Amino acid sequence: MSVSDTIGKGNSASQESAGPLKVWDLPTRLMHWVLVASIAICWWTGLHNQLEYHLYSGYVALWIVLMRLYWGVVGSSTARFSNFVRGPKAMLDYARTLHRRDTPHVHGHNALGAISVLLMLGMVLAVVVLGLFAVDVDGLYSGPLSTYVSFHDGRHLAHLHYRVFNYLLVVIALHLLAVVFYYVHKRHNLVFPMISGHRKAVADIQDEMQVAPLWRFLAGAVVVSAFVWAVTTSFYF
Amino acid sequence: MLSVSGLCRLAGAALVFSLSMSVIVEAAPPQSGLIKSRQDKLRDMGGALKAIDDELKKGSPDWDNVILPNIDTLQGRSGYLLTWFPKGSGPESGVKTYALPGIWLKGDDFTKLGKAMQVEVAKLKPVAASRNAGALKEESFTVGKTCKACHDSYRSPDYEKENDD
Repeated sequence: MSVSDTIGKGNSASQESAGPLKVWDLPTRLMHWVLVASIAICWWTGLHNQLEYHLYSGYVALWIVLMRLYWGVVGSSTARFSNFVRGPKAMLDYARTLHRRDTPHVHGHNALGAISVLLMLGMVLAVVVLGLFAVDVDGLYSGPLSTYVSFHDGRHLAHLHYRVFNYLLVVIALHLLAVVFYYVHKRHNLVFPMISGHRKAVADIQDEMQVAPLWRFLAGAVVVSAFVWAVTTSFYF
Repeated sequence: MLSVSGLCRLAGAALVFSLSMSVIVEAAPPQSGLIKSRQDKLRDMGGALKAIDDELKKGSPDWDNVILPNIDTLQGRSGYLLTWFPKGSGPESGVKTYALPGIWLKGDDFTKLGKAMQVEVAKLKPVAASRNAGALKEESFTVGKTCKACHDSYRSPDYEKENDD
């Protein structure tokens, strides 16, 4: 059953039961919350010119985004892009039912949530990449790839890094507003499942998450960690 | 070919243009040249420090053509740094500057920080003479810290928000 098929059929009260249903695997939840923490640290350290820690938290954000992209291809079913990224029609269909309270709880990301996921991953990646090339005027904590750009260009990229981060904050604010909207209007708690990994739902076998093996995550983690380490050395090794 | 009246009109237009330009030149704040020059020289120093750090990341840094000339730039500039901030060259000048009034209100502290930077910059060349990349990296880091100490206290945080580099 596709996301758009479920929209508008039945009502949530009759479909939902008390049975817990796995919706997010451990890697997806960990990546979500570590990304939250790393962005918060990047924000605070950037504002207070604590660039040493800003760099470290930026590396963590880079690692998470790359891992999330990898997990979006080979991870558990609800984490896979192919399972939640829909075309414009599905998005519009879903948007038309947004005001209704009786829509069923979509298992995983809904069609509009997919935009949020892609937008946020894309923007975090853009901010991090700009930061990698950004020049610190004091020469202490420039991005490791700033060695490949001039002082002038590196400063320009540093300003761009700052500006795109502000746009990212707007997108994050919209994401938080959406979470509040789902909780208040639709009575769907999106935060708890992202912590516990489970949500209350009908024990529909088609909704059961297909869990990807942990070794697959670890294999990706080794490769991504090696890449991030190479970035930190400015590719001089 | 222009007629006599055309030539008169052209001469009139040139006169009006030159008069208006002289008004514009006169209207420019007196400190604008000094502040622009100060900002350019500070950028030179930032660029020199970056060039040294970038070169030190390489397996075999070019000491003679990259590192030493950039140390010269730092030494040449830093020697005069404290003369770049005469009274009246702050925000009150009407020229866009990120120099905070504290530079003149706490002149002793600003001078102390400036001299600390000069002391550290002066150590670069003797360290570079040893051709020890690790030691020079450490010293250039110390120089950067003296830059940061001054920037943290006496440069407006707006500098990071605006793209003026």
